[in-house]
Amino acid sequence: MKRLKDLKDNGDKAFVAYIMAGDGGLDKLRGQVEYLQTTGVTAIEIGIPFSDPVADGPVIEEAGNRALAEGVTLDKVLLEMESWDFNLKIPLIVMTYLNPVIRYGAERFAESCKEAGVSAVIIPDLPFEHQQLVEPYLKKTGITLIQLVTLTTTENRLEDILAAAEGFVYAVTVTGITGVRDEMTQEVQEFMKTVRSKSPVPVYAGFGISKTEHIEMLRDDVDGFIVGSAIVKAFHDNKIEDIEPLIHAVTQRNPV
Amino acid sequence: MTKVKICGLQEEVHVRAASAADAAGFVFAPSRRRVTVEQAAHLADELPGSVEKIGVFVNAELDEVLAAVREVPLTMVQLHGDETDEFIRSIPVKVIQAFSVRDIEDVKKLEKSIADYVLVDAPGIDFRGGSGRTFDWSLLEKSSIDPARLIVAGGLDSANVGQAIGSLAPYMVDVSSGVETKGKKDADKIKSFIKTVKGDSMQQATGTENVTGFFGRFGGQFVPETLMKAVKELEAAYAEAKEDADFQADYHKYLKEYVGREQPLTYAARLTEAWGGPKVYLKREDLNHTGAHKINNAIGQALLAIRMGKRKIVAETGAGQHGVATATICALLDLECVIFMGEEDIRRQQLNVFRMKLLGAKVESVTKGSATLKDAVNEALRYWVTNVEDTHYLIGSALGPHPFPTMVRDFQSVIGRETREQILDKEGRLPDVILACVGGGSNAIGMFHPFVGDESVRLIGVEAAGEGVDTARHAATLTKGTEGVLHGAYMKLLQDENGQVQEAHSISAGLDYPGVGPEHVHLEDIGRVEYKAVTDEEALASVIKLSRLEGIIPALESAHAVAEAEKAAAAMGPEEILIICVSGRGDKDMATYAEKLEGLA
Repeated sequence: MKRLKDLKDNGDKAFVAYIMAGDGGLDKLRGQVEYLQTTGVTAIEIGIPFSDPVADGPVIEEAGNRALAEGVTLDKVLLEMESWDFNLKIPLIVMTYLNPVIRYGAERFAESCKEAGVSAVIIPDLPFEHQQLVEPYLKKTGITLIQLVTLTTTENRLEDILAAAEGFVYAVTVTGITGVRDEMTQEVQEFMKTVRSKSPVPVYAGFGISKTEHIEMLRDDVDGFIVGSAIVKAFHDNKIEDIEPLIHAVTQRNPV
Repeated sequence: MTKVKICGLQEEVHVRAASAADAAGFVFAPSRRRVTVEQAAHLADELPGSVEKIGVFVNAELDEVLAAVREVPLTMVQLHGDETDEFIRSIPVKVIQAFSVRDIEDVKKLEKSIADYVLVDAPGIDFRGGSGRTFDWSLLEKSSIDPARLIVAGGLDSANVGQAIGSLAPYMVDVSSGVETKGKKDADKIKSFIKTVKGDSMQQATGTENVTGFFGRFGGQFVPETLMKAVKELEAAYAEAKEDADFQADYHKYLKEYVGREQPLTYAARLTEAWGGPKVYLKREDLNHTGAHKINNAIGQALLAIRMGKRKIVAETGAGQHGVATATICALLDLECVIFMGEEDIRRQQLNVFRMKLLGAKVESVTKGSATLKDAVNEALRYWVTNVEDTHYLIGSALGPHPFPTMVRDFQSVIGRETREQILDKEGRLPDVILACVGGGSNAIGMFHPFVGDESVRLIGVEAAGEGVDTARHAATLTKGTEGVLHGAYMKLLQDENGQVQEAHSISAGLDYPGVGPEHVHLEDIGRVEYKAVTDEEALASVIKLSRLEGIIPALESAHAVAEAEKAAAAMGPEEILIICVSGRGDKDMATYAEKLEGLA
């Protein structure tokens, strides 16, 4: 995860791409990761499907349901990742709800993640207060637990959470669930400025980022962007190349 | 959990030993334990802010009491003399009125007290502040006094306090001579007494004043970060409202004037005869306005939402009873109301959908997943995440992130509190067995909670076995589930080996949920409550039985409790007492009954 800091120090912006593991079959995952690597993304977030994804909007929920229908499980995804022998240059992040981790066993989860080459983990329904359930095991295997902050995070909490942040901070841009949005408000810009001024690690904006306008608006106030629903939809519609301009708008220094 | 008051403190070392208690008493009346206002002020400084500082007076002048309240300062005043109601009203902090209890006449006197709390003691010998002797606790068991107002004193020590708590379940226990050695306070005895009361395992079962919101290992606040602020705000607002007498009075006013409480505890003579075992009583939640217990909670939460400045309500509903209760209270209090309901449940409970719409609520159909309660909760949570700043999520069962399970339990505990008073009134003793159905578990926890400390009372929660617990189609979460996190709480779930939550099945839409409230999981874990499962078929048979023997058509949910009661009754004798919580009436299930029971009518 050090490269994320280097990127920030160079003044470059990060692009983290989210994909739903096993949407369209687990055998697609390797090709999707390889393809995204060629487009120049900074890191890839691999989503684990869950029956009750309350933080997600319809695009990701439906992708998860398709993956579940294909029989995709946390165990299978980690085994698949462990089998990869291609040259992987960018960090992989696993995003999963808490329940599959508890069922799998937090300690075993940490060990399997390490074997699968995972650099960091995001658990959206594991709040800061309860991170003891998982974090100590991840720490032991050298995996980062990514902290989330939102527009509703109170000032004191923000400081506590940022003090514990490693890798990057996931700053949620909307009061709501994941999904494509039209508008990004002034309030979001102010929020990003605040978080960035206090954070010891790079700050990436996520939830609702789907357009180059969103990126232009927030570019100067964040260190990177996380794009989920737009990519999941593009893969599902077989139009992934349409997403490249969005990636380049972030990763290329002087986008045309 | 019962609170502890250490009374008659005079020295710093003893005050420090008492800092783990909930209250410290300073005696200003003539006594060997008397202190001056200055001494009390000095001693009070040693105590944490969370400990109540209580001044004890006997027929003092009002000015003297007010001066002590101001200068110590005192957070409560305890009166042992012949103080008038007018005197009590003039005191700006909460008041405890003490009574010496010799006989039933004394009990009647204390029942009329207007003080916030009543303290009961044995008759004194040399002075009126308390005698150190025990009184006959059984005198109080038949009293109508709310245990939440009761403070028990009189000869308590580490050896007998458990019995006092077990038989009276008081708000607080008060000890003085019981923590002394040769007439002087003893720091070790003070600590040991506090530990005995607070550390007692039966009491842990009732203890939820845990700041982090866990019941044993279960509960917590497993929600996305966006909701943490709202959940924390709710936690703080509820903690405040719970202690606010005006809020509680408002809530109880609606229960009385609008819901129609208190509900009877009906003796079921024909059911008793038919089963040939214990005397059977029915707690009649079916008589509530809107037809089930759900409204007890809906009113409490709606009042809390208004108190928090939120005038928009979102809720989920399974059978539609909670949706109807919520829509009803929103109409009454002029609140905006959105109800999420699974498509499958909408089909099963059309009448309730119409009722909600008639009441002005917006009913959103949920077509995802199994299109039942679990999916309705998911959608309600998503709606809440998106509209959190001006919307209250009015959860209908003892589920969800803290403080919901505690708050819903508290609002439903009126069921058990009434039942306790009623059975003591009718039979002069506690029942042997109490049964209630469990989906998320709100009527059951409301019924059980006031009895959890009574070891002699067997508590049985009844889940839905659907087509059988050994089939794939059931909702018996405690019987067959495993530990996991869903909808904000660590609890038990029906899930596969990969942690994917499974669909539940029950003929009863209200029990059709793959999780169960965290407090129930804890009560099962420590062995305090037994949980059994009853099939669709058994529940339907009980619908017929209760309808024809007692003229009461129960809701399908409640019929599960009736079915299990019949099994429990088979092993009981005529001298025993069994109570069933009839959580709701069967009007909403009439279409199902017509379909399933055709040919029997």
